[in-house]
Amino acid sequence: MFTRKKTVWLYLAPGLLGLLAFYFVPFFWGVWFSLTDGTIDNKFVGFQNYLDVWQNEIFQLGLKNTLELSLLCAPVIFVLSFLLASLMRKRVAGDGFFRNALLMPYLMPSAAMLIIWLLMFDYGGVVNRVVVALGFERVFWLEGGALRVPIVLLYIWKNLGFSVVIFTAALQAVPESLYEYAALEGAGFFRRQFSITLPQVLPTAFLVLVLAMVNAFKIFKEVYVIGGAYPEESVYTLQHYMNNKFAKLDYQDVTTAAYSFAVIVIVLFLLMYRTKAVRQGESAA
Amino acid sequence: MTDMKPTQPTARGEVIAPVIGPDPTLAYGFTPEPVRQPVKPLIFIDRPEPKRRGPLSRLRRHLRTLRHNRPFTIALFCLIAVLMLTPIVFTFLYSFFPKGEITTYLGLRNRYDATKWLDVLFAPSVVSLRQYYTILIEEPQYLKLFVNSAMYGAAILLGQTLVVPMTAYGLSRFTFKGRDTLFFLVLMLMLLPFQVTMAPSVMTLRALGLLNTAWAIILPGIFSPFYIFLLRQFMVGIPGEIIEAGQMDGAGTMRTFVHVVLPVCRPILGAAAALSFADCWNLVEQPLVYLQNVDLQPLSVMFNKINEEGQAVAFAGAALYLLPMLLIYIYFQDDILLGVQLSELK
Repeated sequence: MFTRKKTVWLYLAPGLLGLLAFYFVPFFWGVWFSLTDGTIDNKFVGFQNYLDVWQNEIFQLGLKNTLELSLLCAPVIFVLSFLLASLMRKRVAGDGFFRNALLMPYLMPSAAMLIIWLLMFDYGGVVNRVVVALGFERVFWLEGGALRVPIVLLYIWKNLGFSVVIFTAALQAVPESLYEYAALEGAGFFRRQFSITLPQVLPTAFLVLVLAMVNAFKIFKEVYVIGGAYPEESVYTLQHYMNNKFAKLDYQDVTTAAYSFAVIVIVLFLLMYRTKAVRQGESAA
Repeated sequence: MTDMKPTQPTARGEVIAPVIGPDPTLAYGFTPEPVRQPVKPLIFIDRPEPKRRGPLSRLRRHLRTLRHNRPFTIALFCLIAVLMLTPIVFTFLYSFFPKGEITTYLGLRNRYDATKWLDVLFAPSVVSLRQYYTILIEEPQYLKLFVNSAMYGAAILLGQTLVVPMTAYGLSRFTFKGRDTLFFLVLMLMLLPFQVTMAPSVMTLRALGLLNTAWAIILPGIFSPFYIFLLRQFMVGIPGEIIEAGQMDGAGTMRTFVHVVLPVCRPILGAAAALSFADCWNLVEQPLVYLQNVDLQPLSVMFNKINEEGQAVAFAGAALYLLPMLLIYIYFQDDILLGVQLSELK
């Protein structure tokens, strides 16, 4: 650890300059921007923009869809990755291959998967074959509300592995003796997971959950790939609203919508920041 | 005297020497049959072999090994692995189908006829490289986008190599006033979706004269807060002793950085490079907003637009699009796993 070294600014300067130019300045400029009226005089109008945007029905639709999609994705990713990581805590034959199969999609571009996804979710496709085999009616996956299913599955397919890897790393740090003791006491698999593992990895669990939540807000990429720029109402996300407003050069609306959304993200982030997961690094440093 | 077979090891693993020839204790004119068993080499076995050697006991033994190896877990893992890999495998498989066959096959989609199914094709009538030929040689438009994407990826990686480790080093191994606030801001930026700062970013880029140029993608990409965060979390975990040992030997901050910190960070640097390139390869939002010029667009944005025109080569296009990522993953897989395991993400 180096203290009272002025040279630190030499290391930080290039990075900070870039962050300042491309992230900080736009961010704070945007805050001010959302409070003005966007005419030539650019009068300060307070929260008028926010009131207008919140009353806009398309904005409400986008916000509702975005929240619903991320509330669909985040818990699924969280629970699945926790269970899989628990199973992977002990080594079995071929688990290296399995981990690779899980993590590989994380690097794969969503756009390249579109064509195979369309085949799988076609009216006569593989997914409907399974549905019929289970004794249900065929589903129109690519229309209406059902369109969310292929999108969410594409998102989970791509992002599950990374959460599993983070979880596995945390689980391997849990002392083995705890499990042996619990096994002696007669605790079953699920009991062990929820009474020992979960409390032990709580900081990580929270990090994974928040990352899953926040990243799920970025589901736009998958929606854009499958649904296009003007998708069905059921998957019209906030980002579509902003992109389309942006195309109409309605910058005030875009930023206002964006900051309404940012408030949600920042609240989540503050919750995360309060947990040890991030701070333990600081006290150690 | 004893019924114990002499060659059988005892519980402690010793082998009693077999009695060969007439037993001196049984000198009644009755000679026991000499023990024919050959002397086994001295093998120390703790557990005596099972007495019954029937197929049943063998089965039992197999079952025990199987239970020990957790068959249900393995079966579940296999199932999930197959589900995860199927889309990738089929993309590559279909890329070797002749163009005509693919066009016919894709034409069978969207028949809303409850009596008909879309067959799953497993093998082409004839293995063909025609799709690849069309994409790579006949129509250069795909290749151009491919090159664009690769160029963005390479430029961003190069810039990040110069900037990100230094920034992370400053944020992790120094103490100075306001460091925690600074880190807090970096974290916050990392979590914000791109759309939050989209409009002001466009205006900033326009003010800098970068809008509609390749730099509009490259420069914000270089300073991506996520990678600063990732490297910082790893560097925080480096034991202080290593750094102090260097300081004792008179290493300054620069020498420590180059000769101590960077080599230790090898796995996370590999992981960050792989993830960053993947990010860029998958870039959709930024080019859509920052670039009006079609010539500058990366593959990720244009990919599905080309496919609408030439469905026959869609699979070869997708396969070529996946291939670099597949290779990068295979090359960097250990780094990604190790990097995440060792950093303070957990």
